[in-house]
Amino acid sequence: MLYALMGLGLSLITGVLNIPNFAHGALFAIGAYFLVTVVGFLGNFWLGLLIAPIGVALLGLLIEFAGIRRLYAAGHDYQLLFTFGLALILNELIIVIWGPVGISHLPPTILRGGVDLGFTFYPKYRLFVMAMAGLLVVATWLFLEKTRYGAIMRAGIENKEMVSLLGIDIHKLFTVAFALGAYLAGIAGALTAPIRGLSPGMGIDMLGIAFVVVALGGLGNLLGAIAAGLIIGIAQAVVAAYWTEASTAVIFAVMAAVLLVRPQGLFGIR
Amino acid sequence: MKRREILKIGAAAALGFPAIVRAQPKEVVMLGLWDQTGAFADVGPLNDRGMRMALEERGMKILGQPIKYITRDGATQAGTSTRRAEEAIDGEGARFMIGPWSSGVALAVSEVAKRKKVLHFFSGGTEDISGARCHRYSFQWAASPYTAAKTVVDNFMKANPKAKRWHLLVADYAFGWSVEKYIKEVGKTHGLEFVGADRHPLGEREFSNYVQKAAANKPDVVAMINFGGDAVAGAREIFNFGLTPKVPLIMSWSSGVEELIQLSPEIRENMWVGTNFYYTADTPVAKEFVKNYRAKYGTPPGYAPSAAYSMTRLMLAGFDKAKSTNEQDVIKALEGIDVNDLLGKMHVDAATHQTLRPYFFLRCKPKAQMKEELDFATVIATGDTPLPKEYAACKDIGSF
Repeated sequence: MLYALMGLGLSLITGVLNIPNFAHGALFAIGAYFLVTVVGFLGNFWLGLLIAPIGVALLGLLIEFAGIRRLYAAGHDYQLLFTFGLALILNELIIVIWGPVGISHLPPTILRGGVDLGFTFYPKYRLFVMAMAGLLVVATWLFLEKTRYGAIMRAGIENKEMVSLLGIDIHKLFTVAFALGAYLAGIAGALTAPIRGLSPGMGIDMLGIAFVVVALGGLGNLLGAIAAGLIIGIAQAVVAAYWTEASTAVIFAVMAAVLLVRPQGLFGIR
Repeated sequence: MKRREILKIGAAAALGFPAIVRAQPKEVVMLGLWDQTGAFADVGPLNDRGMRMALEERGMKILGQPIKYITRDGATQAGTSTRRAEEAIDGEGARFMIGPWSSGVALAVSEVAKRKKVLHFFSGGTEDISGARCHRYSFQWAASPYTAAKTVVDNFMKANPKAKRWHLLVADYAFGWSVEKYIKEVGKTHGLEFVGADRHPLGEREFSNYVQKAAANKPDVVAMINFGGDAVAGAREIFNFGLTPKVPLIMSWSSGVEELIQLSPEIRENMWVGTNFYYTADTPVAKEFVKNYRAKYGTPPGYAPSAAYSMTRLMLAGFDKAKSTNEQDVIKALEGIDVNDLLGKMHVDAATHQTLRPYFFLRCKPKAQMKEELDFATVIATGDTPLPKEYAACKDIGSF
């Protein structure tokens, strides 16, 4: 479900802005570090979970406004270089601010430990994360499907010229889409903190998976990203139960297999 | 003077001149191959601290000659590390080299040492440097995986005689396999039942699947044979699943402080740790070193600076014994050397270049008993049983 969340955010950015966002992993990591910092100050996990992703969204806003905005006309090479460089800078900033040594962050007390589901034993916090990520995916989906602004955003993915010809401020749309994508990455990072802990490299691992999800679902296809996130998560869990050693390789095997049959991705049209 | 004599003097001067220029500073050049970038970027600076402290204790001098200490960044990669090592050997005249931190990379560097005939000291999880790929120029400081396995299993069973059902979580590379092999071997003598042994790739961060399987086996104890980030991620997940603190968790080959600091005290509860060094080691050298390190850096030293410190001291002890700064003399002196140093009694096996030394077994402290932030654990035992002859893979260390 977390994969779906990451993929959805990245897909939104890729779809609307038409840029490859290599800084998505770094935003994910910053979400986690923001959470720990906010919890450190306020002592409340839930407030942290509320505030940290908003902070990441604001950072996304700034990145789009100050950097990416200037590069829409410049072509993919420049955008790629910019987001890639940004990822490195953010990564180093994490080391400068929070240090190179990993940090553990415990789940809130009521979500510690595991529950016996009968057929298997599962940590409470992970169940919470699944529910929360599911909720967020549904909420994002409803926003895109049922609200006017969501419709504009989808229209922006389909045809940018048309949208701007209709008198809609396409630049504002881009900014909002980037901030929303950053928000989703940030909250995915914040939710992950108690599961995987924090380390400066955490974003890089996740970035790879997020791109797999986007490619598998079809570039810029939001439904595809959700479906691909779920497929990869399930494939990983199922394989792990029978052949644990292959559980990471399966992510890429699934992608390779799907792309061989459908080069445009599961739901892609391009 | 005869014509022939003049020619002789001329030839000698011509040949001898460059040698005199080169020998003029009479420096002993020592290379610390410490990663500043790559996977062990955070470890390299700590290694450097340890080596530097050991050299500064001697006033940067050995046998009256100045020591020139240089470091190179191997980027935690075999290609870069071997290239940088060769550059330092050829360009700077380094004849003594310590590092790097990664076992895989160190094996490649060890080949450079062999080819360039340079003394090489290393500490880490690979059995091969003092085993299958042993040669006259490389030395291993870390305990043999057998010594580690024996110390961990024997002492854990002494404290928990009823914990017979073990589940293993093993890093899937040479180091993990060898420790796993020996833990199972030693386990036989205690009648242990290994209910599961799962291998995970190096750099694994998603441990839920492995832990789910471990939990399903209902073991009395989970033992991890992995290192660094893998060990930290595994321990965290085992706690998240609610296994620890009910079920004890063993880290068989831990870096100690560096890993424990990344875990919250709650996660460390009922954790047992095998390690090559812990800073409360009860030896005069360790006490002095820890005091000085604290004064300089504010925290007690972990495995990384301590290993570099101890390796450097051991190498310098070789110089003292040899009374020579020639690398082959120092190697001969190190073979079979006995010192009472950082870890207590240490001996270098002449046949394999393996350092025989105590391995530490710790029990983590509950939060309430911790006196300071880094007061993680108590040393409950040490063990130094060497690898039995029948397992020794280094049949012939060879010649220079």
